Amino acid sequence: MVDVTPRRGGVRALWAGNPWAVVQRGLLAARSSSWIVVLSGFFEPVFYLASMGIGLGSLIGDVQTSGGVDVPYAAFIAPALLAVSAMNGAVYDSTWNVFFKLNYGKLYEGMLSTSLGPLDVALGEMLYALLRGLLYATGFLIIMQILGLNLAPTAILAIPAVLLIAFGFASLGMAVTSYMKTFQHMDWINFVLLPMFLFSSTLYPITVYPEVVQWIVKAFPLWHGVELIRGFTTGVMSPDMGWHILYYVVMIAVGLVFTTKRMRALFLD
Amino acid sequence: MSAAEDSRAGASATAVPPTLDELRDEAMAWGRKPRRFGGWYVTEHMVRAMRAYGWTIVIGALGQPVLYLLGMAVGLAALIDAPIIDRGQQVDYLVFVAPALLMTAAIAVASEEFTYPVMAGFKWRRYFFGFSASPIASAQIAGGVVAGAAARMVVTVVLYYLFLWLFGAVPDPATGWLSIFAGLAAGLAFGIPVMAYAASIEDDKGQFALVQRFIFMPMFLFSGTFYPLSELPGWLQWIGWISPLWHATELGRAATYGDGMPPMIGVHIAYLLALAAGGWFLGRHYFERRLAR
Repeated sequence: MVDVTPRRGGVRALWAGNPWAVVQRGLLAARSSSWIVVLSGFFEPVFYLASMGIGLGSLIGDVQTSGGVDVPYAAFIAPALLAVSAMNGAVYDSTWNVFFKLNYGKLYEGMLSTSLGPLDVALGEMLYALLRGLLYATGFLIIMQILGLNLAPTAILAIPAVLLIAFGFASLGMAVTSYMKTFQHMDWINFVLLPMFLFSSTLYPITVYPEVVQWIVKAFPLWHGVELIRGFTTGVMSPDMGWHILYYVVMIAVGLVFTTKRMRALFLD
Repeated sequence: MSAAEDSRAGASATAVPPTLDELRDEAMAWGRKPRRFGGWYVTEHMVRAMRAYGWTIVIGALGQPVLYLLGMAVGLAALIDAPIIDRGQQVDYLVFVAPALLMTAAIAVASEEFTYPVMAGFKWRRYFFGFSASPIASAQIAGGVVAGAAARMVVTVVLYYLFLWLFGAVPDPATGWLSIFAGLAAGLAFGIPVMAYAASIEDDKGQFALVQRFIFMPMFLFSGTFYPLSELPGWLQWIGWISPLWHATELGRAATYGDGMPPMIGVHIAYLLALAAGGWFLGRHYFERRLAR
C-alpha cells in the first residue's frame, strides 16, 4: 500500500516536486511530432550569421563593443544572434506551444487533476523549453568556434548564459500566454520581439542612438542578454555583467510567481 | 404562400408547364453570373475573412516599415561609413536598403496569405469545397485566392512606399512609385508557387515552418537586401539570382534611384512573370484535382 500524505497549505498546494514528469511528457510527445521542424530552428541564427557576417562584415570591418575593444563584425553579431535565438526559442515554446496546449489540447487540465501542482507544470514546461535552447546554443557555439568567433575561453560560459536568458523569457512568456484567447492575439508577440531584436545592440552598438533611446533599450531584457553573452565570447568581462545576471534572476522569479498564479486562477480556483 | 409563389401557381395553372429545356435555360441563366464573376466572389470571401485580424494587418503594415527603417537606416547606416556603390552610383545606405525592405514586406504578406488560409480552405474549414459546390470553377477559386492576397499586398506596399517617401528614401519620386508594382510582382512571383505547394499538401507536418526557415529566410538574407549581392562570395550569389526578391529589388532600386532602365530589366520582369505563371499553372492543376475528388 502506498503511503499518501495529503498536501496542505502554502506552497504545498502548488508544488508536488515533480516538474520532471512534465518534461518527460514533452520529450515523449516530441518523438511523434516533426523533429525536422525542431531541428530547423537551429539554422535561423546560422543563416543570419552567414549573411550579416560575410556581406556586411566586408562593408563594416571592425566594431567597438561596449567593453571598449574592437572586434571583427562577425564576432560582434554572433553572440547577439545567440541571445536572440535563445529569446525566440523560449518565447515561441512558451507562447505558441503553451497556447495550443492550454486552449485546444486541454493538456494542463489533465496534468493538474493528477498530483502535479501549477508550479510543477510551469517549471516543467520551462525546463523542456530550456533543453531545446541548450541544444541550439551548443550547436551555435561550435559553429562560432570553427569560424574563430570565440575570442576567449570564457565563451563556454555563454551556454549557462543562454539558459538563463531562455529561462527568463520562457517564464514571462507563459504568464502572458495565459491571458490570450485567440490566435490573432499571438501576433502582438512579434510587435514586442521585432523592435527588441533590431535595437538591442544586436547588429550595431546602441551608441548610435541618443541617450534617451539608449536608456529605453537598456530597460528591455534582450539588451542585457546580448551584453552578457558578448562579454563572455569576446572575453571582455566587467562587473556590470552582475547586473545583467541579476536582471534575469528577477525576471525568472517574477515570471514564475506570475505564471503559477495564473495557472492556479485558470484551473484551481 | 408568398405572393411570388402565388402568381407562379396561377401561371402554371393557365399556361403549359415549362419544358425541360426551358428549365435548363433558366438554371443556366442563374448560374451565368457566378460563372462569369465567380472568382471575385471568392476574393470577397478572402478579404472579408481578413477582417478577423484587420488590426494586425494595419499595425503590421504601419509598424514594420517604421521599425525596420529606424533599425537599418539609423542604426546600421551609422556603422557603414562609405556610401554604397550600386550600379556605378553612390547612394546613401537608407536609399539602398529601402526598396529591398518594401519587396520583403510584400513577400512576407504572400508567405502568410498563401499558406495557412489555403490549407484551411482545403482541410480545416473546407470552404473551397463550399465554393466548388456552386457554379464557381476550380480555377476561379484559385484566382480568387490570388486576388484576395494581392489586395492585402497592395495595401501593405502602398503604405510602405509612403513611409519610404516620408523618410527621404526615394530620391526620385517621379519613377519611384513604380516600385509599388515591383512589390506586387515580387509577392505574386513568390506567393503563387507557394499557393500551388500549399494546395498539394494533404497533412500539416510543419511544412510551412520549413518554407519559412529554408526558403524565405535565406532569400531575405542572401538576396542583396542589406548589401550589394557582389559582396557575397561567388558560391553564395546564386541564391540571389534565383530569388524573386533580388530581381524585384533590382527593379525597385532602378525605380527609386531614378537612374533609368537597369540593363537587365527584361530579365527581371520576365523571371518574376515566369515564376508567377508557372505557379499559376501548377496551382490551378492542384486546385482542380483536389476539388474534383
